[in-house]
Amino acid sequence: MKPYVKIALFVVLFIAVSAILAGLYLFNEKHPDMAKAKPDFVVTATVLQKEFEDNEAAASARYINKILEVSGTIVTITPTDSISTNISLKTGSDVSSVICNFHKMTNPSRVKTGDEISIRGECSGFLMDVLLKNCAVIPGRK
Amino acid sequence: MKRIFLLAFFLNIVFAVNGQKYMTKNGFIGFYSHTPMEDIKADNNQVVGVLDISTGEMVFQALIKSFHFDRALMEEHFNENYMESDKFPKSLFKGKITNLASVDFSKTGTYDVTVEGDLTIRDVKNKISTKGTIEVVNGDINANSKFNIVPEDYKITIPGVVRDKFDKSMAVTVTMKYTPITAK
Repeated sequence: MKPYVKIALFVVLFIAVSAILAGLYLFNEKHPDMAKAKPDFVVTATVLQKEFEDNEAAASARYINKILEVSGTIVTITPTDSISTNISLKTGSDVSSVICNFHKMTNPSRVKTGDEISIRGECSGFLMDVLLKNCAVIPGRK
Repeated sequence: MKRIFLLAFFLNIVFAVNGQKYMTKNGFIGFYSHTPMEDIKADNNQVVGVLDISTGEMVFQALIKSFHFDRALMEEHFNENYMESDKFPKSLFKGKITNLASVDFSKTGTYDVTVEGDLTIRDVKNKISTKGTIEVVNGDINANSKFNIVPEDYKITIPGVVRDKFDKSMAVTVTMKYTPITAK
């Protein structure tokens, strides 16, 4: 084989393998690692809940799909059926809080009710509470 | 509009002091569909559900974005392409237990029930009827049901080349663990 044919073949093979690897990478992409992700907003649970209560449309436009770092006091810790945990944070409202869902590996095991905590997660929206998903506890933060 | 409804319903409950209303904010809805390549499986553990045991009325509301898929790319496609969750963020079921008389809420036990009502997804409302169980235990009430829904019934269009790979319908599982609402 002429040398340039060999090189051309090699280049084509290289591109093909890269494309397959890139596809596989995207395909297997995990949810963002909250411990490393940079939050779009840093806010207290009280302020966040009030914003949604006062104007759901505006707060939705501002926060949904964004990574929020929310600080507050733990009110309830509820493990659920499918290997995930919901932690709710205290707000200024008796009936509406901020509920953060932790899935599988990021289940926080050393927190308890009454703890002051910072949680980073993606904002899903608002039903009766502000709902966050893919959450992780951010250690060492108040 | 739906949130006003749910809030009004909830407020109505809070002021009714007869201990007849039960609620959860950690309700579970999961769905599943088998495909030859990989199975589609998602779970939502932040469903709000309310049950009135005096009338058998059952309401639950779920945020579409609260459905978790293990594969991030699948979750992204689900929200952006199939459900358009920015446009239709919530789904709602409003119905009732049709054989309420056969459930004794004061007695620990498991009761077979039929639930009928309207399920709204992507602003499309369909009547559904499903069998389930009500389990009364230690003052709490657990409700379980499994049913199937066909995505096209809710204008969820899956491109032809991909559609063949799914089952025609999705298997949906609902599990609500209600606790009594006490007036504050």
